[in-house]
Amino acid sequence: MSLQTLRVLEAFLENPTDELAGADVQKRGQLASGTLYPILLRLESAGWFVSRWEAVEPSSIGRPRRRLYRLTPSGLRRASEVFSTFGRGVLA
Amino acid sequence: MNPRHQPAASPPHSAPEEILRQPERLARWLIQRAARHSGPALSARLEEEWLADLAVQRRGFSRLRFAIGCCWATRVIAHEHAGLGVPVGSSATGNGLAVALAHQDPSLFSRRTIVFLIIVGLHVLVIYAFANGLVRKVIEVIEQPPLVGFVSHPAPPDPVPQLTETNFPTPPLTPPWHELTPIVDPEEPAPSNDTAPQPWQGPPLPAPPTGAVNRVLGGPGRGFPDTDQYYPVASRRIGEAGIATVRVCVDDNGRLASEPSIAHSSGSVRLDEGALKLARAGSGHYRTTTENGRPVSFCYPLNVRFELRP
Repeated sequence: MSLQTLRVLEAFLENPTDELAGADVQKRGQLASGTLYPILLRLESAGWFVSRWEAVEPSSIGRPRRRLYRLTPSGLRRASEVFSTFGRGVLA
Repeated sequence: MNPRHQPAASPPHSAPEEILRQPERLARWLIQRAARHSGPALSARLEEEWLADLAVQRRGFSRLRFAIGCCWATRVIAHEHAGLGVPVGSSATGNGLAVALAHQDPSLFSRRTIVFLIIVGLHVLVIYAFANGLVRKVIEVIEQPPLVGFVSHPAPPDPVPQLTETNFPTPPLTPPWHELTPIVDPEEPAPSNDTAPQPWQGPPLPAPPTGAVNRVLGGPGRGFPDTDQYYPVASRRIGEAGIATVRVCVDDNGRLASEPSIAHSSGSVRLDEGALKLARAGSGHYRTTTENGRPVSFCYPLNVRFELRP
């Protein structure tokens, strides 16, 4: 598992119930967009994340809807296992 | 792109704002273009997602950097998902779960394959050109200047000065050097037919000193290099042949006593150079000229014949 993937997981593990958009993960993990979105899609395909569209009307807020990602229960368990193996200090 | 998330028409902007909007426009264009290249299943989703995330980036070049990153992400995503069934979650329209095929290159040949085929084709073309003599023809066309030039009204020819001995001052020769008509020794034939002393065809040489001297002219001796070894490759390739006359001065040990020079050109600089190289390489392998049976140092013309053999 790459360092960038660990940073993505760490961003979600700060509060596992949060739903985060790509831009939020990018800020928390200090990741470039070219790195972030392939990781999100990869983890979603593997069942670690689920995603949904933001429940807003784009015309009313004047911007497109954001895609929100959330850890699945199995994703949370596996991410926790990963970090228990490596220790959180690995990303410090 | 979902038409619902088109921003409303904005009021006219001031000049600084307009400058700031340029990277933003470029960023939007890059994202839309990148998303389209991610394949039909993902393009709508990624475009809307990335445009939404673009909107929360800081204005200016941060957005441009974000968009460039999305272009890279498209390449990675397309590479990873090519040919695989990838569950991508809810569709762009938000109507339930959709499992879609990620981007697959619809064309028979990818760009990389086409480039590879072009490179292979160029190699085949070059090999074919070498094998069929096309390159030789090209060299002939390039090497040989056209015989026909611009024709203009001929000017009256300048009077050609009469050449006299005073036009070409030559250093006085001191004995034992002589410039005499070469004599080929009939008893000891040269090892190569291509390099044989020939009668001097230049300006008249001074008369030999009086007195009966039995002189046997030297020439290529045993171990003298073969002419073919010094046939210029370019000349051989374009079928260039000719005879170059080299003036050599050979001492009484069969070695060159001075640098050989071209006495009569073959008409080709390459062949002349090849003849000079041959003459230099033969130093130490010349038969010495003898006078009354005694080896002497002597200068004489050496003809080097370059001819193509089947």
